[in-house]
Amino acid sequence: MITRSIAFVRGLLRRRAIDDEIAEELRDHLEREIEMHVSRGVSPDEARRRAIRDLGGLTQTIEATRAVRATWFDGLGRDARYAARVLRRSPLFTATALALLVLGIGATTAILSVAYAVLVRPLPFPNADRLVFITEKDGAGVAWPNFEDWRLRAKSFDGLAGSLADAVLMTTRDVPRRFESRSVTSNFFRVLGVVALRGRLFDASDARPDATPTAVVSHAFWLRELGGNTAAIGQTIPFNGKSFHVIGVLPPSFRFMTPAEVYLLIEPQVAADYRGMQSRTTHTTFYVVGRLKAGVSVTGARTEMQTLQTALAGDSTSAKDVGIQLVTLADRIVGDMAATLTVLAGAVALLLLITCANLAALLLNRNAARAHEFTIRAAIGGNRWQLIRQLLVEHAMLIAAGAALGTVAGAFILHGLVGAAPRDLPRLDEIRLDFTVMSGITAVSCACAFMFGVVPTLRTFGGTGAGLATRSGRGTRSRSSLRTALMIGEIALATVLLSGSGLMIQTMRRLSRVDPGFDPHNLKTVMFSLQGAAWPDARKEVFYRSVVERLRAVPGVEDAAITYSLPMLGSNWWNVFMTQGTTAEYWTSVGEFPNAGMVPVTAGYFEMLRIPLLKGRYFNRSDTPTSLPVAIMSSSAARKYWPNEDPIGKQVRQGYPNDPYGPWRTIVGVVGDIKQNGIDQEMPRQVFLPIVQQPRTTVFAIARLRAPVPGSSIEAAIHDLDRTIPVFNDRTIDQVMTEASSRRRVAMLVLSVFGGVALFLAAIGLYGVVAQSVADRHHEIGVRMALGATSRQVVRLFLRHGLVVIAIGVPAGLLGATVAVRSLASLVYGITVTDPATLGAVALVLVAVTAVASFLPSRSAARTDPLTILRAE
Amino acid sequence: MKKSSLLQGTLDLVLLRILELGPNHGWGIANRLQQMSKDSLKTSQGSLYPALHRLEMRGDVRSQMTASDNNRRARMYTITAAGRKRLYKETETWAAFALSMARVLGTNE
Repeated sequence: MITRSIAFVRGLLRRRAIDDEIAEELRDHLEREIEMHVSRGVSPDEARRRAIRDLGGLTQTIEATRAVRATWFDGLGRDARYAARVLRRSPLFTATALALLVLGIGATTAILSVAYAVLVRPLPFPNADRLVFITEKDGAGVAWPNFEDWRLRAKSFDGLAGSLADAVLMTTRDVPRRFESRSVTSNFFRVLGVVALRGRLFDASDARPDATPTAVVSHAFWLRELGGNTAAIGQTIPFNGKSFHVIGVLPPSFRFMTPAEVYLLIEPQVAADYRGMQSRTTHTTFYVVGRLKAGVSVTGARTEMQTLQTALAGDSTSAKDVGIQLVTLADRIVGDMAATLTVLAGAVALLLLITCANLAALLLNRNAARAHEFTIRAAIGGNRWQLIRQLLVEHAMLIAAGAALGTVAGAFILHGLVGAAPRDLPRLDEIRLDFTVMSGITAVSCACAFMFGVVPTLRTFGGTGAGLATRSGRGTRSRSSLRTALMIGEIALATVLLSGSGLMIQTMRRLSRVDPGFDPHNLKTVMFSLQGAAWPDARKEVFYRSVVERLRAVPGVEDAAITYSLPMLGSNWWNVFMTQGTTAEYWTSVGEFPNAGMVPVTAGYFEMLRIPLLKGRYFNRSDTPTSLPVAIMSSSAARKYWPNEDPIGKQVRQGYPNDPYGPWRTIVGVVGDIKQNGIDQEMPRQVFLPIVQQPRTTVFAIARLRAPVPGSSIEAAIHDLDRTIPVFNDRTIDQVMTEASSRRRVAMLVLSVFGGVALFLAAIGLYGVVAQSVADRHHEIGVRMALGATSRQVVRLFLRHGLVVIAIGVPAGLLGATVAVRSLASLVYGITVTDPATLGAVALVLVAVTAVASFLPSRSAARTDPLTILRAE
Repeated sequence: MKKSSLLQGTLDLVLLRILELGPNHGWGIANRLQQMSKDSLKTSQGSLYPALHRLEMRGDVRSQMTASDNNRRARMYTITAAGRKRLYKETETWAAFALSMARVLGTNE
């Protein structure tokens, strides 16, 4: 065995050398023969003549000997050369097949790479499947006292940690700079299983009240701000006007939810009642992450936490609206993107199937056209195995070229996709062109080429020389029924894709017609932050007013206002409130305290957004920090809590009865509802407060533009007042809306493009099948027409074939679509996924296009002149 | 006696038998074949060399280019253990076959 392999390898590596050796060996033979003759007394010349005669054809001997050594590897090379020649000689076929492969492999690889990176590949934490994400009811942030109780009592976890996305100001230079930060519990990194790249991460001793304030920084921050210097560890950096010791650097791959550059401990912040976190009714965006104990399931942990939370509610009368949500961290991070990606992956898989079907049809046609060649090869002694090998080599070369080009195309498409991807696409930075995915897809294409390229050819080839004369023998029929089946499949798949596309187009149309309750166009917004001790509430209030005045003075700005929650971007502050005259017991019996989004705004906010006033008055300059505390209700809040009364003059107060927040406020107005949480969301209940009576640190300034205004001039207007204020997130409401719909748009685009390509391929395919059958039955047409068939009858003969394909394909596709489009459920807006009008329209388009595709070649059949056909026989 | 060409498939057996006597080169093997069969068997180079190389590919013999006189190199063939085994086995089969043929044809009393 070893000898054999060595000889084989030697054969591969040293073909030339072996040729030489064989020649040398034979030369030696010749010389010895001559010597023998000479020694027997023959003259040297005669001896040489005899020796050469006896040796026979030298070249043939060398050839035959080499053939023994070369075996199949040489044959493969010969096949490859032959295949290359064959492929070059039919450029149209080669180009079409390559285009199909590049499209199929490229698009599929790119989209499935994204899906794989986001959905399948585990999160970059050790044992990431044991990590869970916990929020309170309806996804609300966890109140700190609840978190502390969970930590004491929950038994399902090896560790419970929490974090709060925030921002810090670095005050090293005269203009402070703002960095995204995350406030974390001291065990946060330990629970996730993250290890420091340099230095160390937090431990419990850092959280002690007397400990030196410490900070951990991201790899990018370390490189950029600290020069990537190990000596930077131990340095102090001023954040928010306070000194922090940098104790460690995170690995570059670390990422948790939103990106952050600075990590601070949350325990000292809670101790200082930051954002009111000591209260059980304050739900900030503090979220909890837990590592499950070995043997505890996600469901088990969820049940324990539910029970625990209900028990906690019994302890404290204030927590009535209890409940928790517990999902795996991966589910939370991927979130509803899973649905979108599943749709895209599904669409692209369908496209791959269609291109494979087309490739199959193409190979069938081509090999049918070459039946003559194969038959001749068989007749002159080519064996079956050689033919298989030849076809395999030919297809393998095509696919190898297709896969190579497809990978390049895939890389380009992926690059484009990542560039165009919604910015909130989770794990965007983990996306790579995936080798596993690509190999899988190439394998599918190979299998398809083999199934439809080689197998049917062999069947008709039959291994005998029969059929040389009968070029339209029995084989044609079985091939044509296979082609018909492929076409039915293709039309069905195209129907599925186009149904999805139709639904998404309908969705986008409906969304564009939704009335958001305000005028969202020409609105520019920036955020600014009045952090730190330099900004007491009294000073903030003055500053807000100055900012609004400054902005109104910017050329091109029509109006301006400030708000704590940007429309379309959701509520930043959701709270319960009490209504005057009702008791806690009453609301307990109802089952839910009144609640709404709390939105501090400046006077002029409603006028600027063009939100209609339904009752009472808007806020105005008479509302000051010292005047009567007031509030304005959104229409849905007014309707819900004062269904039969006039809300004007009624009073409300935030918080629970035993834990109030702020003063009683008198309702002075009711305004129209707006799409606060996004155009596709319900209009939420809102309570508006004058921001001068309820100052906030980080707010949005909104300017309504008359003419285009660069973001820099808005920023400049604020910096004119105070250049140390960080101004950030410059964008328009239109951009916010576009970004929010980007998943739908991507789904619509992909489905429409793929659907269009699928329809095109199906039409071409059907055209080909009908045209082929016209060509096959050329003679028959001639006879029929000679016997008096009208051209209408001939057209009907072939059209029927196409119509049968359509009549089976389209309904099958619609049936498939009703199942497949369920994955669109979370993306579709305003219609059901089985919207009959949309599906009907899709069916009509398909029938029309495919009917034309089968009519054209049928008509050409009828145009033939029977005499020409019959004469040609 | 007429010179007969080798029966199909017996060449391998003959070559292995010759090489069992000792390593040899192609010309030597051809000569030996003539001698051993008392000139009654002869093979052409056209089949000898491919056969030798085939045996090598199968692992029944191995070969080595060795220097010979007059500045030439000759390929020396040596039988391997596997070749030997095969030789014994096929010799038995052959003998049995020859005996049966002789019985059937009545040339063996």
